[in-house]
Formats: sequence, structure tokens, C-alpha cells
Amino acid sequence: MVEPENTRLGKMLLDEITPVVMVLRTPLVEESCRKNGLSFIEMLSPFCNFNNIDVPVRTASDHPYRLRKFKLRLFYASEIRQMNSEVAKDRLKQVVTHAGDRDISELCSDPPAIETIVATSELEIVPSWFQTFNKQLVDAVSFSEHESFDHPVACLVAVSSKDQEHIDKLVDLFDTNQLPSLLNDGAMDPKILKYFLLVHDNQDDILEKSTGILTEMRSTFGAHDCRMLCINSSVDGSEEHHENPWASYRNNALHKKQFGCFINVDDIEELKTTMQDLSSKHIIPHMELKIRVLNQQVSATRKGFRNQIKNLWWRKGKEDVPDNPNGTMYTFSSIESQIRVLGDYAFMLQDYELALSNYKLISTDYKLDKAWKRYAGVQEMMGLAYFMLDQSRKDAEYCMENAFSTYLKIGSGGVRNAVRCGLWWAEMLKARDQYKDAADVFFRISVEEPLHSAVMVEQASYCYLLSTPIMLRKYGFHLVLSGDLYKKCDQIKHAIRTYRGALVVFKGTAWGHIRDHVHFHIGKWSAFLGMYDEAIKHMLEVLACGHQSRAFQELFLKDFLRIIQETGKTFEVLRLQLPVINFALTKVVFEDHRTYASSAAASVRESLWRSLEEDMVPSLSVIKSNWLEIQSKVLPKKYKESNVCVAGEAIRVDVGFRNPLQIPISISNVSLVCEHSTESDETVSNASSSLINYQNDTELRTVSVSGDFSLDTPFFTLSEVGTSIQGGTSILVQLTVTPKTEGTLKVVGVRWKLSGSVVGIHNFNADVTRKKVARGNRKLKQSIKNKLEFLVIQSIPRLEGVIKNLPRTVYAGDLRRLTLELKNPSTVSVKNLKMRVSHPRFINIADQEAMDLEFPNCLKKHANSSESYNHVDCAKAPNSVFVFPETTSISADTPLVWPLWFRAAAGGSVSLCITIYYEMEDKTAVITYRTLRMYYNLEVLPSLEMSFKISPCPSRLQEFLVRMDVINKTSSESFRIHQLSCVGDQWELTLLHTVDSVFPLEYLIAGQALSCFFKLKKCQTRVTTEDNLSSLVTSARADVRLGDSDSRLFDTSISPLILFHHHERLLQEKLQQEHQSTIDFILMSESQNESESGQPRSSEILSHHTCHCRIASTSPIRWLMDGPRTLRHDFSTAFCEINLRITVYNSSEDHLSVRINTVDSTPTVIPVSSAASVSGNEEGWHDLSHLSDIKLTSDLMRSKVGKALSFESVSSFVWSGSSSTRFKIEPLSSAEVPLQVCVFSPGTFDLSNYSLHWNVLASGEGGDDEAGSRVTSSGTCQGHSYHITVLQKD
Amino acid sequence: MIVCLAVVGHQNNPLYIQSFTEADDALKLHHIVHCSLDVVDERVNNPKKSGPTLNETFLGLLYPTENYKVYGYLTNTKVKFILVTTDLDVRDTDVRNFYRRFHAAYVDAVSNPFHVPGKKITSKSFAERVSTIVKSFGLSSSS
Repeated sequence: MVEPENTRLGKMLLDEITPVVMVLRTPLVEESCRKNGLSFIEMLSPFCNFNNIDVPVRTASDHPYRLRKFKLRLFYASEIRQMNSEVAKDRLKQVVTHAGDRDISELCSDPPAIETIVATSELEIVPSWFQTFNKQLVDAVSFSEHESFDHPVACLVAVSSKDQEHIDKLVDLFDTNQLPSLLNDGAMDPKILKYFLLVHDNQDDILEKSTGILTEMRSTFGAHDCRMLCINSSVDGSEEHHENPWASYRNNALHKKQFGCFINVDDIEELKTTMQDLSSKHIIPHMELKIRVLNQQVSATRKGFRNQIKNLWWRKGKEDVPDNPNGTMYTFSSIESQIRVLGDYAFMLQDYELALSNYKLISTDYKLDKAWKRYAGVQEMMGLAYFMLDQSRKDAEYCMENAFSTYLKIGSGGVRNAVRCGLWWAEMLKARDQYKDAADVFFRISVEEPLHSAVMVEQASYCYLLSTPIMLRKYGFHLVLSGDLYKKCDQIKHAIRTYRGALVVFKGTAWGHIRDHVHFHIGKWSAFLGMYDEAIKHMLEVLACGHQSRAFQELFLKDFLRIIQETGKTFEVLRLQLPVINFALTKVVFEDHRTYASSAAASVRESLWRSLEEDMVPSLSVIKSNWLEIQSKVLPKKYKESNVCVAGEAIRVDVGFRNPLQIPISISNVSLVCEHSTESDETVSNASSSLINYQNDTELRTVSVSGDFSLDTPFFTLSEVGTSIQGGTSILVQLTVTPKTEGTLKVVGVRWKLSGSVVGIHNFNADVTRKKVARGNRKLKQSIKNKLEFLVIQSIPRLEGVIKNLPRTVYAGDLRRLTLELKNPSTVSVKNLKMRVSHPRFINIADQEAMDLEFPNCLKKHANSSESYNHVDCAKAPNSVFVFPETTSISADTPLVWPLWFRAAAGGSVSLCITIYYEMEDKTAVITYRTLRMYYNLEVLPSLEMSFKISPCPSRLQEFLVRMDVINKTSSESFRIHQLSCVGDQWELTLLHTVDSVFPLEYLIAGQALSCFFKLKKCQTRVTTEDNLSSLVTSARADVRLGDSDSRLFDTSISPLILFHHHERLLQEKLQQEHQSTIDFILMSESQNESESGQPRSSEILSHHTCHCRIASTSPIRWLMDGPRTLRHDFSTAFCEINLRITVYNSSEDHLSVRINTVDSTPTVIPVSSAASVSGNEEGWHDLSHLSDIKLTSDLMRSKVGKALSFESVSSFVWSGSSSTRFKIEPLSSAEVPLQVCVFSPGTFDLSNYSLHWNVLASGEGGDDEAGSRVTSSGTCQGHSYHITVLQKD
Repeated sequence: MIVCLAVVGHQNNPLYIQSFTEADDALKLHHIVHCSLDVVDERVNNPKKSGPTLNETFLGLLYPTENYKVYGYLTNTKVKFILVTTDLDVRDTDVRNFYRRFHAAYVDAVSNPFHVPGKKITSKSFAERVSTIVKSFGLSSSS
């Protein structure tokens, strides 16, 4: 624990609570002193401070001690009065302003980190001017009448030797009229110790004369009380002082003349002795004496039991005295005042125990008298005395608090006293390391006056910082509070200073609201003071404030732009926060050997293109070796890994900008920042004018002219984009750079201009390094770095291709002819063109001749065309590469035009990728081949949907009933059904009804459904299955005209229909299991709508393909019972025997074993127990609701029949012959089995009580490799009803 | 009346801060909540804590500002709940009761699998639930 005297408060008290000496002087005295640039008091003051005066003093109880530290306070008589509050206020303001001006330089430097602040000591953190300020506050309340330590103890009367009539002058000086009111109104004893001083100016007067005057004075006023002081002994005024005692006055002196220049060493010595003499020989003994006298007096009247009772009694009687806060009722002669004087004198002579006991004595009296101000003053002194004695902290604090609150209680008169009391109290707490409590006290001091409280709150904040545990948040909060108060009093520099201090606390925390507020205000105020760099730096921090409300965002942005405008300069800001760059979105598109026809093509995944180009481009290993070989010759090794791009071809970089605000912002002049270095000089020189060295850490640069960034340099050309981003949205900006010459091009970053005033620059590399730090992934860095570095090679040809008249939206089944147009703008020719399409189902490459044909008539059957078909090369395998003929050449003027067939095969969004490969004629080029990638996306709308159901004809084995359901799925389009064709020459298709009955309307309008029935006949037996695939032939019989009769039928056996059919077949084959006895249908229709422009569109042809339709049956066998239907028989002779024949057809591809069981009783077995393979037969069905309804009814009917049978089961006939016959059937063949039935009576009989049991034979003899994997299945079929009528023969 | 309610993460980052006044005093309330964290820290790190109060989540009145009273609550996961109220005579039981309900709401909100721990709570249903709790606090204390 530090000694109380050595604490700050201790020092302060030893400084402040010291005897006051009133100085009276003649004007001539002052004049002499002025020669030295000092006033009389200023000249004397340095010598009033005694650090080791070493004067023996006796306490009231005769206990001797020595006084070490002692000080006299000198004041002119005119100064001994309470300071006017206005003057005091002005002085305070001056102090603050002065301090603010002084540390403006610090405002620009970065505030230290929080850790360093915590580590530094109090002296460094707390601004030093606080002490000055606090002293001013304390001084403002000095010379109040209730505190006798401010009452002059002695009076120093000085006359100059130049004065006339010295004695009279001396007497006049002590004229009561001019004396302070304290002496006159009775607050203090007017009989004051006087000390007379004759100031002798050595320059103007001779010493002898002065000595004479002194003698005269001595005889008048007493020998001890007079003294002569010689000054200005130095003649030339060039006296130099080693340690100038007046150095501290330098601040408020204007002239340069050195202080005390006429005072030589002897004079100083004399000054010293004079003051020492005054204090030790006069003032201290005087005070000591007075203490003794007063102590005796007090003891006599107040000490002892009797006196206390008497006093209490006396006080009681005065209880009804009204409140008198001013306490004028106490004159110096009253016992209360005397006790107080006794206490104060004892305090000043550092006899704190005596002081304390007297204060205690008087405090109750004052309290009883309700003299609150005096009471508070005494309490205050008690607290200080406790502190100086270093005992009972609690009491000390209690006293201070009591004093403080009492001062506040008495209203405006006590406020300033309260402030002083609070300051002492806070200092007391600080001295005891109770910083938190001190902060509270400081906070409590802050009343009314904003400037005053600003300083107090700031002091409180430092206390929070110094407290343990450290209270950083409160520190920050109080700094912000005080900043606001400073701002209120226009002390902007102080406001900035405090806010900056607070910033340290909020930096890096998630408390965005507060941080933004602090940054914003620092920025605003800095701009106000003209510190624009600082202002912009802070404003930048708040720009990207997505969490703020819209109003705040607008305010921030507006103020920021205003500040920028005020500067009148264009700033270039690295890491401008607005808009935010989404680095993740950045995509780089460049063309080496891959070229893209459109930007959409570039966005397709590389792997997709790779797989498409797999067969076309020279195999990877080969090109790599070749390529590297050439590369290594031409290029330095270090570029081997970098990207290659071609001069004159743009590199596109997609940069994603995001607007975090809710308000739209506009950005303009968005462009890339690139550096280009030619190969010739190995060192990467600043070849480009726009290259900026970003390695140095300048975050803010001033661009003198906005136009110093040119888009068009000799090495490359940049594109520029301007746009506006709506609040909260992101946009993708496509920026390009087109290199012009060979060399290395590096994309460094992106720059943009925000609202036309601030240029933001974003460095891509910085991003990468930051990422690297975050992830520690070196590989990533490598890859991104490479991504932005390009090796520019000389210009080589680049094909441009486009597919003309490809529609964006199309109905499914639409068949069109398109043209592919390829252009070669360069003079160098290309060769070896190849092409491949990702979806051959959609696009087929036609022959060159197709260009000249008339579409769609070329698809129709020619009237004279023979039955013989033109063989289509279906071996043109799917996904094959189309090689353009050697003769095709492309030059700049004559583009290559090639026809393509297009059919919208399937609904939905379809992405078509087409890649064209070509090689350079010029063998010297670095890149020998290139590919042109085209990408189209189109939407295919559903149009007609059709389904087929084929059921066997009950009466004939080779005939089938075909039911076609067509539904128009479009919303508005109507179609005309043109024809239905079935593919394959073995089929014959006929319509069951007339055309008109099926199609009452010409068109199938939107949403309409239609079903019609056809008879399908197998007109010849199948010969072989092998050539089925290679020769798909349609005959005239396989086409059915469904529309109007005047147009010709389409020939479904020619290209492109047969080609597309082939693809459909392949596709649908994949979907369902292979069955060879299937049939494919093609429905041709025409769309008849008029286009929007009103012009009649050439009718569009649609083709719909349904492949692999199967006979809808649940079992692989079909059978037909054959026999007589009606016969006559004479039952009188014998029963009737009827021979029947059953023909069983195996429609599966497996060998079947079939057993026919005849039962005479009612069949109990309900048909069909089928395994997976059998149920698969029904898969050809589209799940349309009306179809399933029909199926349901048929099932019902069948079950009805079964039921009826069970009731009529009077066995009036029996099966004869074996009850079970077993036989095998080859696939797709039939077998005949004879049956016999015996009828006993005439009637009509239903011969359905038999069943066919089949099971699939295991593979082996069948040779079907599929059978092995298939589950062997079996099933039972209930016999069909076969009615036979037998009549009695007459 | 409750003017502000805040959830502060264990790293003293604000997770949820909602004022229930019409006035534009967000900044002030932010400051109050932020400052009260100092007091929370002080309370929590106070070595003088003894047995029964050791596991107490309710921290009581943190500090009275000029017009407000600030109450604190500390969950087991060191998440702090700060309540700022203008009521001058609030019973501790009311506040405890309130905090219990609020804690339940908070637990439900962070149990949401889409909530990222340590990030701000953006759940709308949480906000609604909190506002009903806040409203009911006003009612119970007035009765």
C-alpha cells in the first residue's frame, strides 16, 4: 500500500489544502516584476513550495513532530473570491479545446490493439490534460466561506522602494474596502497576520535608500514583520538559469524574453530565504499558536460530558430554526466556525487526528442546525482526513458519499462543491484500486453541463478499463457516451478521439450495430474536420451493412458519397465492400483448342463435351506428346502448365457481384485488370499501362485523373460493363479481355466504379491467398492461379457455326429440316471436318441433297413409286461421327451450309450438344486442331399422346384387334391426324370403321381424346427374324389414311422418318423387354395452327412412334377351339360323340409345354397364376384411365360367365378320351390337339370346363440365351366358352 | 413492460436481439445489452460463489440504468439471456418464470436441425413465441 501522502490524491491535497497568503502590493512592485516577464505572485510562487521545510511543530497535546512538505498559496486580494460560474465555464472550455488541438495528430494514427491498451499503465492511457481539467474544477469552488482552509492565513503587503510615503501606502493597501468580502462580512477573523515586504529594484534605486525605508517600516510595524527583497540585480538582463524555476509559466507567456532574466543567483537566494522565513518563522508558528488557542477554547466549551449535554440542550432548543443552507449565522467568532478553523489548521499542518476529531465534533452540530453546506464540507474533510490517516476506508467512503449527496441535495449552489467532492472521492477510490467504484463516482459527477460530463464520463471509462476484472464493454460504452457529449459541445476532435478509443472494443465483434454507428460517426466527423482519408477509411467499413435497416443503409451510402464528393477526387479503393464479390461464382472461359459457338455452350460441363468428342479428337496420349513436343520447342518450360489462349480471341471471366443492401446501387465501368508481359523480356515487366502494383499495402489511393485507366492498350482490349444491382440480389457480370499480341496475360482483378465516384478494385490473387490461409490447401491455390494466367499464342482460324431456324419451343414429334451454317473468318483454311451430335434422337445429319428437296413433300409417297423401297442404311450407327466429305471447304465468304433433320422426340427441356472438329491447314500452328462446340436448349411441349392395345381376335389366330387411343395434350394447338402406319412388311392394317365416323371433325383439338379400332392382320408367316432389324419395310397395306383423302401418304420407309424411327426403336427397346413378335406404329399428323404473325405457316409435320407393341394377353398361349357349332343327333340310339380340335399358338419366344385338362365337374381353379415375365406382357400399356376402365369391365364379364357356369353344372356331357393331354410347342408356332366330348341329351352346352396348363421349358433345346436368366414360369388358363347346340334328330 | 430481449452466445456474440418498443432505440438497447455482458462476466467469474448459487442460472438484476432494469440469465452452454425492462418493481419470481419459458423456447429454436449453432437465430416461429411470452410477462406482472 502506498503511503496516503504519495498517492495522487495525497499529493493533490498537500497541494490544494495549504495556507493561503493574501498578497497586497503597489503598482510599482508589479512594474518591477514585469521586467522579468512575471507578475509578483508568479515571481514568488516557485519559492513557496517546500519539499523539505523541516519545521518542528507541536500538536495541541504537545506532541512534537516535524513538518516536511509545506506549501503556501499566494493570491492577490482581488482573487480571493469565489469564481464566477461563467468564467469557470470558459476556463474549462479553454482547457478542453486546448487539449483537443494538441492531440489532433494522434487522430490519424491507428489506435493500438486492445491487448496493448490493457497492458499499458494508467498514466499512458489517461490523457494528461484531465488533471488540468480537474484542477480547474476544484479551483472553481475555492474561497467559499464555509471552508476555512481557503481563508487567508496571512497577508503579504509589499511596497516598492520607488513608492513614496511607504507607510501610508502600506496602510492604504490594507484598506478594508478593497479586501475580499470574506474578511469583511465576518466569515473570517479580520485580524490577520501581516507581513510587510519592501521590494527593492536594484536597477532603479540605490540600496541605501531602501534600507532607510525598511528601518522606518520596522519601527512602525514591528521588527520581525518587515523585510526587504532585492530583485533585478542583473544589469544586462541576460541572466541564464540552469533550472529556471519559472519554466512552468512559459505556456501562457507570449513574449520570448526569458523569465527572470534580471534576477541573478543572489536574488533567487534572497527570494528563497524570504519565503522560507515567511512560512517557517511566521505562518507556521502563527497557525500553531492559533491551534493551541482554539483547542483550549474548544476544550473549555465543548469537551467533557457537561459541555456535551449543554450543547445538546442548546441545539435542541434551536430545532425550529428554519433551514438555512447558506449558514450565514456562523461568524468567525461562533464556536462552530472556530472548531472548523481549528480542524482546517490542523489539517493544513498535517495533524490529521486533531483535524478529524474536530470535524467529527462539528459535523453533528451542523447536522442538527441543518446547515447542509457546512455539514457537507465537514463530511468531505472528514473523509479526506480518514484517507490521510489511512484508516477506516469504509468511514472515509461513507463520509465522501454523504458529503457528495448532501451537496447535491442543497441544489444549484452545491453542484460545484459536489463536483470537487466527487473528484476527490473518485481519486480516493482510485488510490485504493477500486476503479469500478471510481467509475461510478465519475459517472455520478456528470451532471448538467455537457462538456463537463463528457470529460467525467470519459474519465469513468478509463476507470472501467483499469478495473479488475477489466470491463471493456463498459469502457467502450462510456467512451461512446462521452463522445456524444463532446459532439454536443462541438468538441469534435475529442469526440473522434473517444470514438476511436471505443472502436478498439467493438472491432472484430459481432455487434455490428454498434460498430457501424461508431465507424459512421468517426467518418462523418473526420470529414467535417477535413480529414478525408480517415473519413473514407471509416465509411468504407460501414458500407456493406446488410443487417442495418433500409433507412440507415441509405444514410450511410448517401453520406459516403457526399464525403467523396467533398474531396473532389476519385478514390481507388482496394477491397471496397460494395458490392460484394462472390468469388465462388467466378468462372473463366477461354478458348484454346476448344471453341464455343455461344456462351451457353461454354457453361456446359466439360466432361460432357469430353465424352462427346472422345472418338473425334486425336486420342489424349497422342495429342499430349505431340502438343508438348511442339510446345517445348516454342515455349519456355514454365508455361507448360498454364492455359493457352489465342490472340484476338476473348477470354471471358464471370464475376458475381452481390448487393448486400436493401437499396439498389449502381456500378459502372466494370472491367478486368490485367497484366501482359511479352515473352521477349524474361522479367515480367510492367508492359501494360494498367498494371498496378498491388503488393504494397495501400488500401486507398487517390487517382488524380479518372481517365488514367484505359480500356484499350497495345496488348489487350478490355470490355466495360455498367449496371445497377437491386437490393439483396446478385448479378453475374461477364467481362472479357481480348489479348492482341503473343505473350503471357494474367488476369489480376476486377475494378468497378460505385455510383460514379469511387473506384473499387478487387484482387483475385488476394482472394486466393486468403483462401489458402483459411484452408491451407496449396493445391487449390495453384489451380486458381493457373486459371488466371494465360499463354497467348498467335492467331489461328476459328470456325463459327450456327444452326439456323432452330425453334426455341416445339411440340413433341415435330419434324423439321434445319440448316447448319459454318463460317471461317480467317484466311487460313481448315480441313477434316467431323461432327457429332449428343442426341441423335433429335438431330440427324441429312445428306447434302436434302438441301434442295421440298419439305415436307419429299417425305410423301410418290404416285409412281413402286412397292420396292429404297434401302436405308440403318447401319449408320447411333452416336456415330459424321465425317464431312473432303470436298467441303469453308472460306470467309462462302459458308458451309449443311442440312439437318430435327425431330422433337421427347417432351421436356432438351439440351442439344453438337461438336464439330476441324484441323488446321497450317501445320506450324501450336494447336493443330480445334473443336467447335455448339449448344442449344429447347423446350419440347407435349402434343399427341397415343397408346395401343392389341388383343387377339377370338375367332382367328393371325388377326388382331388394335385399339388406338390418341389424346391431344396441348393447351391450344389442334392437330390433324394424317395417317397411321405400322412398320414391317408382314402386317396389314385396316380401319374397322369408315374414316368419317372416326373423325367427325377434321382436327383433333386441344384436350380432345380419340380412340379408333383397326384390324391388324399378319399377312405372311415370318421367315427369319435376323433381317428384321436391317430391313424394315412398309408396304402400302401397312398405312392407313386417317385424314382427308386428297393428300398423299407419307412414306415412312425413307429417311429421315426411318432414321428417327430407328432411334425411337432403340430407345423404347431399352425401356421394355425384348419381344420379337412386336409391332411398331407411326402416327403422322399435321399441326394446322396459324402462327402469331397471321401468315399461314407451312404445315408442320409431326410423327409419333410407338414401338414394340405386344398383344395384350396374360399368358404366352392362345388357343382356338374348332368344331361343329350345331348338330343333330338321334339320342334314342346312342349318345352323341362330337369331335373337336383345339389349336394352341405359342406367342412367346420360349418352348412351352402345354397340358390340356378336361374336367367334368365345375372348374375350381381360377385362371392365371403367372410369374413376373408374364405380367410384363402388359407393359405396353399406357396408363390412361379410360383404358383401364374397359379392362375392368371385361374382367367383370369373365367372372360373370364363371359364376353362371357353376350354377348350371349339371353334367349333361362328359369329356371323352384322355383327361389330360400334354404336348410341346416350339416358339411362335402352333399345335393341334383333338378332343372329344360325349353329349347325352339335346341342348346347348358350354364346353368351357377345361383348362390349359402351360409351363415354360427350361433352356437347352431352345437355345435362347435369355431363358437361362429368366424365371421359369407356368400358368393355368381357364377354357374359353364354346357353345355347342345339339338337337334331337327327328 | 419488456423493452428488449437478447440472446448472446458464449463468445459474447449477439444471437438474437429484439426490441419491443416502437421508438428507434435499437442502438441504445444494443449498448445496454452489450454493457450488461460485463456484469454477467463479473458475476460468473466471481470466486465467492457458493454451493446453492453455483448452479443457479438466473443471475438476477444486473444493473439498473437510468430508466431500465436489466436482468440476466446464463444457460449451461454459457448462452446469456438479457432482459431489459422499464418496470421498476419487478418481482424476481416473475422474471424467473419468464426466463424459464424463454429458455424452453430457445432450446426448441436451436434444436431445429437447420439452425447453425453460434449463428443468429432467424426462426420466425421463435420470434412469434418470444413475443407471446413477452406479452404474457406484462400481463402477469400487472395483475
